[in-house]
Amino acid sequence: MQYPEQFDVIVIGGGHAGTEAAAASARMGAKTLLLTQSIETLGQMSCNPAIGGIGKSHLVAEIDALDGVMAKATDQAGIHFRVLNSSKGPAVRATRAQADRTLYKNAVRDILEHQENLQIFQQSVVDLVVENDTVVGCETQMGLTFCAKTVVLTTGTFLGGKIHIGDQQQSGGRAGDPPSIALAERLRALPFRVGRLKTGTPPRIDGRSVDFSVLESQLGDDPRPVMSSMGKRSDHPQQISCHITYTNADTHQIITDNLDRSAMYSGAIEGVGPRYCPSIEDKVVRFADKSSHQIFIEPEGLNTTELYPNGISTSLPFDVQLQFVRSMQGFANAHISRPGYAIEYDYFDPRDLQHSLETKAIAGLFFAGQINGTTGYEEAGAQGLLAGINAARKCQDKTPWEPRRDEAYIGVLVDDLINLGTTEPYRMFTSRAEFRLRLREDNADQRLTPMGIDFGLVGHERRSYFEEKLRRVDEFRKQFKATCILPSSDLDQKLALNLRKETTLEEALRRPEINSQKISVALALTETDSNGDAHIDALAVKQLEIETKYAGYIKRQDEEILKIRRHEGMLLPATMDFAQLEGLSNELKQKLEHHKPDSLARAARIPGMTPAALSILLIHAKALAKNAAKASTL
Amino acid sequence: MEANQALNNDLICAIATPPGQGGVGIVRLSGKGAGEVAAQLCAKPLQSRTAVYTDFFDAQELLDNGLALWFPGPNSFTGEDVVELQGHGGPVIQHRILNALCQRGARLARPGEFSERAFMNGKLDLAQAEAVADLIASSSIAASKAALNTLKGAFSEMISAIALDIANMRVRVEAAIDFPEEDIEILQEAKVAEDIARTVTALEAILEQANQGRLINSGISVALIGQPNVGKSSLLNALAGEEAAIVTNIPGTTRDLLKIDLVIGGLPIRLVDTAGLRESSDEVEKIGIARAIAQAAEADLTLYVAAADTLEEGLASSELVGNIELIQESDSQPNNILLVVNKSDLGAMRNLPKDIASVSVSAKTGEGLDLLKKAIQESVGFGQENVPFAARQRHIQIIKDTLVKVNAAAQALTQNQGAEFVAEELYIAHQRLGEITGTVTPDDLLGKIFSEFCIGK
Ligand SMILES: Cc1cc2nc3c(=O)[nH]c(=O)nc-3n(C[C@H](O)[C@H](O)[C@H](O)COP(=O)(O)OP(=O)(O)OC[C@H]3O[C@@H](n4cnc5c(N)ncnc54)[C@H](O)[C@@H]3O)c2cc1C
Ligand SMILES: Nc1nc2c(ncn2[C@@H]2O[C@H](COP(=O)(O)OP(=O)(O)OP(=O)(O)O)[C@@H](O)[C@H]2O)c(=O)[nH]1
Ligand SMILES: [Mg+2]
Repeated sequence: MQYPEQFDVIVIGGGHAGTEAAAASARMGAKTLLLTQSIETLGQMSCNPAIGGIGKSHLVAEIDALDGVMAKATDQAGIHFRVLNSSKGPAVRATRAQADRTLYKNAVRDILEHQENLQIFQQSVVDLVVENDTVVGCETQMGLTFCAKTVVLTTGTFLGGKIHIGDQQQSGGRAGDPPSIALAERLRALPFRVGRLKTGTPPRIDGRSVDFSVLESQLGDDPRPVMSSMGKRSDHPQQISCHITYTNADTHQIITDNLDRSAMYSGAIEGVGPRYCPSIEDKVVRFADKSSHQIFIEPEGLNTTELYPNGISTSLPFDVQLQFVRSMQGFANAHISRPGYAIEYDYFDPRDLQHSLETKAIAGLFFAGQINGTTGYEEAGAQGLLAGINAARKCQDKTPWEPRRDEAYIGVLVDDLINLGTTEPYRMFTSRAEFRLRLREDNADQRLTPMGIDFGLVGHERRSYFEEKLRRVDEFRKQFKATCILPSSDLDQKLALNLRKETTLEEALRRPEINSQKISVALALTETDSNGDAHIDALAVKQLEIETKYAGYIKRQDEEILKIRRHEGMLLPATMDFAQLEGLSNELKQKLEHHKPDSLARAARIPGMTPAALSILLIHAKALAKNAAKASTL
Repeated sequence: MEANQALNNDLICAIATPPGQGGVGIVRLSGKGAGEVAAQLCAKPLQSRTAVYTDFFDAQELLDNGLALWFPGPNSFTGEDVVELQGHGGPVIQHRILNALCQRGARLARPGEFSERAFMNGKLDLAQAEAVADLIASSSIAASKAALNTLKGAFSEMISAIALDIANMRVRVEAAIDFPEEDIEILQEAKVAEDIARTVTALEAILEQANQGRLINSGISVALIGQPNVGKSSLLNALAGEEAAIVTNIPGTTRDLLKIDLVIGGLPIRLVDTAGLRESSDEVEKIGIARAIAQAAEADLTLYVAAADTLEEGLASSELVGNIELIQESDSQPNNILLVVNKSDLGAMRNLPKDIASVSVSAKTGEGLDLLKKAIQESVGFGQENVPFAARQRHIQIIKDTLVKVNAAAQALTQNQGAEFVAEELYIAHQRLGEITGTVTPDDLLGKIFSEFCIGK
């Protein structure tokens, strides 16, 4: 049967990419349908019950700046909040929260169910309907056809998903959920390059069987951060501690003795796993001289006794899992509630995508999330948001939004994927962002909210809060410029400046020993409101401080950005035969052949590139264009 | 007007006339702000498309005088704002003019960059494009060769070693930023500080070796050394074109150092004649010989002179080989030696040590003197083409910039400014050095991080 109503956007998959995509397109006014296997698993965290962390929290802040779901849900569900890198500067500080799995799911579902223009339908999709290389809808398991102008595919680890525990294998999208086999087969018939990746998860442990008295405990931060810039501490549920234990010589011995039984080491897995998320087998083998590894024990929620031991993801058989878990401090009598496993799945080569996340081969079809070769909720959510925005914009006949590398981590993520592809599950790190000093959590709203307002993506509440914050920053900026501090005046003393001559408050802020907090105190600004949340004035002064301290670096980057923008406009024709270009090293030719950059800016990011090589590319591109022009006038 | 389509549109400068040709020397500037920067150098306003007679200053110092021509874009050779400064000074003055321009924000053009911009801005036709691309390709090869020639191989090894050191420091700093939760001490500030210090020393050593400032301002020093009576003093006279040194047929005529300044093809040279090397019991002569050896060690280039009529049958004479080894042992740049076989009118070159470059001349007839002059110039990268010399200068500029950034990283580290600042400075240093070695991407760096540290959950 064909479903009677037509949609603008259909989103397939209700994971982290899918929920952001559906919510975003609906917020923009597009008539949206979210099709997912199970409404119960909307917003389900397949792995670690944590959101944020270095690089990832930056993505969350950007999703939040565009009024997305993830940060809001985290404030509803977070049971342990910390700021990582707090001893370093604001550009690399990152908020991280342990979330109660159930509360998180509930929060996501709550947001989606109250979202205007959004309908949810529980059903597995088995086919895409494609006409003239354009997607027009999809078909579900029970033979129902839905029609739409655009489709966003976000099926995560489910495509051809295969779970490995030791030498046992079974099909699955993640433990407890069926894989998408029919859809995977159908997609393999479309003109996309498909590969296999793998990831793993540790066994879960019943907290009642753990001896906490012998474990280090780790408290959340005080003052407690919030994830969303609109979040309040009062949104947070009860807070609890995490714990830490370590592997030891016995643990390592058990693992080494049983290596041949690990799915990864027996050769049963063909997919490539992430280098930064090694299984415990990998750690023990590759870093044999390290006698102990740190394991964070994270609670899965408030109303469950299950624990997530972060750092022992494994594909060893269950009996070995039990043995090595019990070898660790505090775990002598541990009961495993779910075995750890590795999962292999299909992903699509992201180089077959455009920067809007629309596929090159099939118009109207967008890919987002883990299927593009990434890993992580935040990476998935960010892509979902982008795909949702661009699907909606396509329906509105607007040009796609292609966030830039100097604008957003989302831009870095997408550009890295599309430019260079990936050979392992891609995770965000701040070191991937060459404009790291400007891409901060604290200014995500300044970078992106105006765009979100323009897209019709940002709700009224956030908009007015944002505009208020900007106004306050601006007022303080003017005030600081106009405030003259005289030697031995009241302010001089309060700030301990020891002035010899008159100076402005703006200049004083440039001094390394002066920070926003000292100024807030000296000016008797309200630092926190009645609920203990940071007051907008304190935030505004903090913003000024950060701007001031990074100013020199930001200015230098501005020049770099101008240059890159020029180079982005310099296109390399698709007909360019890199292998034939004289004057380039063979190594470079091969890399160019492999990546086929379409602009000079993209070529510049290929490893080993030099200015001379760029010049050669550009000259040949221009020569090709001239030749083509000549040919067409003949 | 079509927008500027060249790779870059920043201000570049270069000498536009081949070196060593008398008469007029042209320095050309192209890019954003060319008119303004040139006007500063001339201390007077320029007029569009009109030759202005003017002095050229570096700060307060008068460098030269001549004509300044300003062609505002797009009606210029490159399509950008172009200024030509036509002076009378030789290459040394021209290089000082370039330096002055660079201090005002210009940078030295890469080989072919003017033509490249001209082509990209539609000023050259298609047929010329190939030639421009070839020029860039061949001169980037020539550039590294020139750097190699100048610094004799050590250069590229040193640059690679420094690039590797910077990469290793970045691995630590970036890992410390991206993985703060690990139970290992990743950053090890003391180690990074140590690495930074070593890198600074290495960069300074290269700059020292390159001796750029001295080369530009006072030229290079060349020592004439060899056994008595081979014609060292005669060669000095022949090169100088005057009878500066006493010449006799008595071995041991020259007993102390004799220095004279001369210019060969625009390159200023301090030429030093020395006492002939031999076993001697004469106190004065012994001192002279010791000075001769010291001079060879100090010089940028040693001309080891032998006489063709004394070359033996069969193998190279043990004395010749022994003396050369002696000089090489005492010299920190043992490869900067050129074997000059004098008295070619009396015999042929034969039985020379194989691993040393040699030239055949006759101080008496003047035969081969041009070749010798050319060899002297090339030995410091100051060839007939402007390319190698300019290339060397660009490399040196890159090394200087890298040094500035590595020092800034050191400062950020010691002042505890935050790891992200250290990372930023090192990133820029690495990028800059990457203009010679090729860029290193974040993913390369992450790969190194994961292979070095057990990181991740
Ligand atoms: C075992 C395991 C370990 C992991 N380990 C880590 C880790 O250590 N660190 C980390 O950062 N990330 C890890 N992840 C990854 C993280 O879970 C994903 O990156 C993230 O969930 C991806 O989000 P997504 O929206 O792309 O896909 P998913 O969250 O997988 O969501 C896919 C959604 O699509 C639905 N769906 C699938 N097929 C269909 C269909 N045919 N029709 C309709 N709906 C469909 C599913 O029901 C699901 O709701 C792990 C994942 C797994 C499974
Ligand atoms: N035929 C010939 N004779 C030369 C040539 N160069 C130098 N002589 C002669 O060789 C003799 C020695 O020349 P000098 O220049 O004094 O030699 P020197 O190497 O300086 O000798 P010391 O100062 O004694 O070490 C003189 O008689 C020169 O005229 C040459 O090219 N051809
Ligand atoms: Mg003599």
